[in-house]
Amino acid sequence: MKTDRKASHALSKRQGRREFLIKTGGILAASAFGAVPLRGWAADPVNIGALYPTTGSMAQIGVGCVAAAKLAVEMINDAGGIKSLGGAKLNLIISDVQSDTTVTRTETDRLITSNKLSAIHGCYASALTLIASEVAERAKVPLITGSSSDQLNKGRTYTFTPFARASQFAQAQLRMSRLVSEKPKVAVIFENTAFGTSTSNGLREQAAAEGVEIVLFEPYSAGFTDASPLINKVKSSGANALFSVSYLNDLILIVRTVKQVGLNVAINGGSGGFVIPDFYKNVGKLAEGLQGVAHWNHDVSDDAQKVNAEYKKRTGEFLFEYAGGLVAQTFMLADAIERAASADSQKVREALSTLDVSKGFAAMAPGGKVKFGPDGKNIYGHPVGVQWQNGDLASVYPSEDARTPLMKT
Amino acid sequence: MLETVAQAVINGLLIGGIYALVSIGVTLIFGVVKVVNFAQGEFVMIGMYISFFLANQFGIDPLVSLAVSIPVLFVVGVLIQHFLIRRVLGPNDMPQIFLTFALSLLLLNLALMLFTANYRTVHTSYSDEAFHIGGLYIPEAKLIAFVVAMALSGALWVFLHTTDLGKAMRAAAQNRDVATLMGINPNRVFCVALGIALALAGAAGSLLMPFYSAYPFVGQVFVLMAFVAVVLGTLGNVIGALIASLMMGVAESLGIQFVGADSGLIVVFAMLLLTLAFKPTGLGGGRAR
Repeated sequence: MKTDRKASHALSKRQGRREFLIKTGGILAASAFGAVPLRGWAADPVNIGALYPTTGSMAQIGVGCVAAAKLAVEMINDAGGIKSLGGAKLNLIISDVQSDTTVTRTETDRLITSNKLSAIHGCYASALTLIASEVAERAKVPLITGSSSDQLNKGRTYTFTPFARASQFAQAQLRMSRLVSEKPKVAVIFENTAFGTSTSNGLREQAAAEGVEIVLFEPYSAGFTDASPLINKVKSSGANALFSVSYLNDLILIVRTVKQVGLNVAINGGSGGFVIPDFYKNVGKLAEGLQGVAHWNHDVSDDAQKVNAEYKKRTGEFLFEYAGGLVAQTFMLADAIERAASADSQKVREALSTLDVSKGFAAMAPGGKVKFGPDGKNIYGHPVGVQWQNGDLASVYPSEDARTPLMKT
Repeated sequence: MLETVAQAVINGLLIGGIYALVSIGVTLIFGVVKVVNFAQGEFVMIGMYISFFLANQFGIDPLVSLAVSIPVLFVVGVLIQHFLIRRVLGPNDMPQIFLTFALSLLLLNLALMLFTANYRTVHTSYSDEAFHIGGLYIPEAKLIAFVVAMALSGALWVFLHTTDLGKAMRAAAQNRDVATLMGINPNRVFCVALGIALALAGAAGSLLMPFYSAYPFVGQVFVLMAFVAVVLGTLGNVIGALIASLMMGVAESLGIQFVGADSGLIVVFAMLLLTLAFKPTGLGGGRAR
């Protein structure tokens, strides 16, 4: 990183003065002619910061988020912008946090200090959002996020989480297993990392209370070459449901091996990489009937279906969990700014804390209602149980959110 | 119980066949050229991407694309020997280690840049199917991979024992100086050795593609097992590497079944440790065959 900067510094020194003048002069002229006339006829735009990893290991989902963020802002602006501010347009300022916690810190800081922001949304990955939220708290700029870490609701007053929390996902997964069988016997297999261990422990702690018996609780080393021995164990355990806490590559091997063994278990793949279009592309027909949990799905409401159709037209893929929730979040921000009748970040925060919606694009959430408690948590927030059906992700649980019945496999 | 053990052994043998293709390549290069090729796993990765793109762009079955991956990687091997490894052969081992390690890093990061870190899979009609015999099952794709792997290993053995070039290769492996005195051109022999070793890695990649995902780091998974197999089966010993690979596959599989799914490798490494303690030259004995 450092050497890069040095190199570019040296490079710019070498550039001739004439070239420098031509370039900067050009930019200055362009901005002068470009920006001034805009101000002449429209109200000042309201700046919304968007922090997403569009490069690095999380880029794939980050890029989808940015596409959804742009779509949402366009929808709001086309509908007349913020009316209480004279039709002010939302201005999305996107920043790449490069899938890196250090970059997230500096980028959040830079975004806040170099722009007058009314609110921020981001960052998809909990590890990054936790950092961005710390910076936003200190700068007193509200941050709204779909990240599920329960940490985000502790000791924060500028952070808002309209969707289900991590602790709620385990419960939903256990309850879904009861749709499959009266007496679910669950095998939990998980990669032996922090993510795998914490998620599976959550499942184990809540199992008894939900009337679910765990017959196998097996950690494995992530990135194995062969899932057969592991599935052999699942087979010997006599389980009728399988919870796999795994990343994509391992999950693909597990699903294929279950098919080869001819094992009759209902597989629940959890959330994250399991509920994105890429999963179906990789696994194909074998994904049919597989279950998972998500904080958002594109069939939660008619409005969501509309946004989904537009997103599909632009990107060719359905609107996935995080991106869809992000569109709803943008509308929540617009609702708050509208009521605050101000672009001031503190006033927007006040308005967000009294948000109470049950219809429209801002209410696109499982349950269809959003109202924040004192910890910034949506008091109605809960996950939705989903199942892959005909190449699409359908909501099947709980009954109030279910759009189609669970397909028995 | 018996059925569980039998199934674990089948699983182990099948994946062991793939380990064998990778480890035979490593041991061949070490035996003949006396270089440890740290980049062997990356050539498996390249083989996988070749099969992936042929399947994705032209709908070519990964097994058919063996006809592309094997010759392509053979040529790559010859070029690498001729232009890179030849320059660092000498009394000092360090430059060779740095060279192959650097090659590994280079290929890995190039793949990250060109193909991104995403997982790529190829779905064939036999990817998810299995033969069922009694209570046991044998996945089709893995069985095919195993059979082809064994056939290639057999072909290599025949080549080494019946052809002049193969005999020259074994002679060079046993004693380079004497072989040179007997009129064997070491450079030519080394080029062929590298070519064959990389072709085997490429074949492993193509054979893996129907049932395993391709991603830039995929080679690292297999190369670790290959190195253990090479040491276990005596450095430079082709048959030793083959048998050790199969044994390791079975040990890993039994370990997962009876010790724990996160400790399958413990059994493998325990086996390595015991072998090194009691038979330091490896199971194949001291001679390169």
